[in-house]
Amino acid sequence: MQNSFLHRHFIVRQIARSRRQVIVLILCVALSIVTLISLNGFSMSVHNSMLNDARTLHAADIIIQSNYDLSPAVINAVAGLEKKNQIISARVWEFYSVVRNQNSQNSLLTKIKVVQPGYPFYGRVILKSGREFDAVLNSGSIIVAQALLERLQLHVGDALRIGNTTLTIADVVLQEPDQPVNFFQLGPRVFIAAEDLKTLGLVAKGSRVWYRCLIKALDERNIQSITNQLSAAADEDQERVETSRSARSGIKRFFDNLLFDLSLICIFTLLLAGIGIQSTLAAFLKEKEKTIAVMKTVGATSQFITRHYIVILTILGLSGTLLGLLCGLLLQNALDLLFSGLLPKSVKLMISWQAVVEGLCIGVLVVGLFSFIPLHRLKDIKPVSIFRKERIRFKIGAPMFLSASLIFAFFVLLVLRQIKEIKAGLYFVLGVILLIVVTSLLTALVLFVLKRLKIRSLIIRQALKGLFRPKNATRPIIITLTASLSVIFSIYLIEENLDAAFIQSYPPAAPNLFFLDIQPSQLERFSKTLGMPTEYYPIIRAKILAINGKKVDRKQERRRRGDNLARTFNLTYRDYLLEDEVIVKGRSLYRNDWGDLQVSVMDTVAKIQRMKIGDRITFKIQGVPLQARISSIRSRTRESIRPFFYFVFPPGTLQNAPQTIFTALRIEKHRIASLQTKIVEAFPNVSAIDVTSTLTIFTAVMKKLSLIIRFFAGFSIVAGILIILSSVLATRFARIQEAVYYKILGARSRFVVNVFTLENMLLGLVSAALALIISQVGSWLICSEVFDIAYRPLIDKCALLIGGTVVLVVVVGLMPSISIMRQKPISYLREQTQE
Amino acid sequence: MPVVEAKQVTKTYTIGDRDIRVLDNVSLSVQEGEFLVVEGSSGSGKSTLLSLLSGLDKPTSGRVFLKEQDITDTSEDDLAPLRNEFIGFVFQSFHLVPSLTALENVMFPAELRHDAEAFDKAAGLLKRVGLQKRIDNFPHQLSGGEMQRVAMCRAVINNPKIIFADEPTGNLDSENGQAVLELLLEFQKERKTTLVLVTHSLDIAKLADRMIILKDGRITTEN
Repeated sequence: MQNSFLHRHFIVRQIARSRRQVIVLILCVALSIVTLISLNGFSMSVHNSMLNDARTLHAADIIIQSNYDLSPAVINAVAGLEKKNQIISARVWEFYSVVRNQNSQNSLLTKIKVVQPGYPFYGRVILKSGREFDAVLNSGSIIVAQALLERLQLHVGDALRIGNTTLTIADVVLQEPDQPVNFFQLGPRVFIAAEDLKTLGLVAKGSRVWYRCLIKALDERNIQSITNQLSAAADEDQERVETSRSARSGIKRFFDNLLFDLSLICIFTLLLAGIGIQSTLAAFLKEKEKTIAVMKTVGATSQFITRHYIVILTILGLSGTLLGLLCGLLLQNALDLLFSGLLPKSVKLMISWQAVVEGLCIGVLVVGLFSFIPLHRLKDIKPVSIFRKERIRFKIGAPMFLSASLIFAFFVLLVLRQIKEIKAGLYFVLGVILLIVVTSLLTALVLFVLKRLKIRSLIIRQALKGLFRPKNATRPIIITLTASLSVIFSIYLIEENLDAAFIQSYPPAAPNLFFLDIQPSQLERFSKTLGMPTEYYPIIRAKILAINGKKVDRKQERRRRGDNLARTFNLTYRDYLLEDEVIVKGRSLYRNDWGDLQVSVMDTVAKIQRMKIGDRITFKIQGVPLQARISSIRSRTRESIRPFFYFVFPPGTLQNAPQTIFTALRIEKHRIASLQTKIVEAFPNVSAIDVTSTLTIFTAVMKKLSLIIRFFAGFSIVAGILIILSSVLATRFARIQEAVYYKILGARSRFVVNVFTLENMLLGLVSAALALIISQVGSWLICSEVFDIAYRPLIDKCALLIGGTVVLVVVVGLMPSISIMRQKPISYLREQTQE
Repeated sequence: MPVVEAKQVTKTYTIGDRDIRVLDNVSLSVQEGEFLVVEGSSGSGKSTLLSLLSGLDKPTSGRVFLKEQDITDTSEDDLAPLRNEFIGFVFQSFHLVPSLTALENVMFPAELRHDAEAFDKAAGLLKRVGLQKRIDNFPHQLSGGEMQRVAMCRAVINNPKIIFADEPTGNLDSENGQAVLELLLEFQKERKTTLVLVTHSLDIAKLADRMIILKDGRITTEN
């Protein structure tokens, strides 16, 4: 019986006859997985090459770290364990300092790492000479980054003035294991032997130094017990004891966050590609309606027909999946280029077979889920439709809801699997659903209005009617394009606003040179040496122990995205507001009717734990607890480069606390280098930060990251483009018919071109305009609520975004229509007569 | 003065490696206001002759003149104004624009000329043919007879000098066909429009001022 076999010729011809639609469908399937495969493979490569070996990333088994000098208790604990031959240790001091070329006026901010012998316990510091690190780094010699030699015009063997001493450059460092990338460093690396620490004279109380003690366990089985012993000895408020597994590497955190964001974008693209698959498949099957009706007329069952189309879809789906896999692997290699400058050369890209298998499974699932409804609807095609012109009505019922539920469940699981955080995952899914729902509603509203517009101009009217042409996928096109453009526009608007807030609109009076770590005893001399009036800010470094008696849970705080209360804060004291500060809660900075020690708090940090007036915060300053009552909450009137402080005390309270002083001033750019050198010569412990050059480095990195994110987001537009192509192909016959009729009735070719162009322009304009509205609202929310910066709508740049979108849609929509517009009336009429 | 003239036109199609001569050295002249019927069996070349006379197709050899203007080598774009203002078409398969209502289909040629009275003219014509209640219906909502009446209104809205009708009643039942034909002849007489009508039907041919019979691409009879 015919109903039980597979008609191979039928399958092949159905595919061959709709070649173009088939190609679009395959491309949609490929698109759904290409970014995910490339990213997953890339991510695995990065982790395997760089991030998976936690011991190398920390250069130790156990790390004790603090922003204060390590406590005697923990030092003794370490010494005790060393005596028992359970561990070996090496201390590391890391800080910024300005170094000087002995022979010239050049100076440069560098990141100094002072290490004891033994460092690194895991991984290697790779030197240009190829020699061993511990053989080169001795007292009196230093190892520097190539960038330092270039910027100070020095060579190996030259002397470098650092702090109070002069050391000799012995070699050049190419790579260090616990800092595989250095794009966020403010200065090039300098390695110094620990024996020279004292002579440097740069580490004093209050100095901004990152203190570490790296520990290698001689028996790996003892790592946890050793960690526990050291934790018991450590000052838990100031010192952290972690194993290499539990410690969070800054680099790892950075890449985890970046890959996390990119994963979300890839899943978003997958969703849009899924819509593309459904739309394209629906168009493909619509072309076959008459064929299916005829087949049913001669006795084929729905089952027979569905089975054949499932086979067709399987072939196309597998083709698309394989194409997606291949493109994903190729794209993975292109990612190397995209990430250049951010990744060390040691990262080896490899094919991750796990990513390949996952990609295959995802591709198959996506095709299956999004093709369920179009295939299910085949049974609604009745034989009688070959006689009647009425549109086939598809029933909305349980299968539709089942399909929607399965798709939703699939996405939730995929998101959770990809980003491994339940809360963030659910927020993302809800966000995407909200975006698609809002887009759908806005689209429906716009189309409702457009359909009812009374337009005088014939061309515009015909173009509008074209949007509502049967089989035109106007709605899915607008929804897909709008959703993808909303994301891309938002990224652009947020980036531009951040740029404007911090970089471009650098106010003329804003400080461009910061001097840090001025000791109080140096203040008078410093001021004389500087020779210009400026404001000085005392800084007392402290940690928060408790709020209203409730201890701060440091582990939980560190897990918080964004700022957290577990870090070290800079306290200061004064009795006035800065010019860009305003009191938002409380009558004045401090209360005269309170006898307690008071503190004024910035609103951004008060929000973290919902602090309010009257709450008591317990600080720890150099081991000494200090409780203060919140007297007021301040806010900044604008985001800028000016100094600001989360916690401000009244004068007289912290005068005697260990502190350093910093100042920020504005001078002409050409004077920065010489002033920097002059200050550092007189005060070697003072760090100078040229803000404009720092911002340049920062901007370059942010632009790179933005490029990467936009590159991935760009794939989501491809989904919209594919749906446009599919729609044009699906309505090809209707468009030919219209073009022919226009010409027969006396319209010139230009009229036909204008109508089709305008139709695509309207499509692009509606999509871009809706995307802009959504992205403006979203960007404003993010800028004002998350980044706390003033928001600019950037109308002129938005016009460019809209223009670019319109051009893209017109080009994509017109390209397949060229042959349609060239169609001569007689060929069409002849075919109709022959039929 | 002939409104449309064909001089020794031949039309050959190449299908695969075969040349098929559909029209063979046909010469014909149609006077202003004349009702000419082109009759012949299926495959005789009637529709091809119509398409050549109306400028929809180009002859393989020979010349075609419309209003004494040689249109043989005229481009599609240059023919457009002629089609809009000078010619009206009525097809067997109606060929209405599916996305336009009945009224919009009729208005379309007038709007191409920026005729400010397009709406009124179209509404008037549709009322005349009894379709005043169907003006907002789309073609798929109309019967065959109704669609052909709409097509006729569309063909005459710009007061063309000549109407080419290719088997206008071919897809209609006899009652509707008769009604459509009567309307067409009514328009023709009223506006003194030249009408070239292709048909199998000898009954229709009897109503014409002149008839030519095509056989194997040649005019065999001219009455």
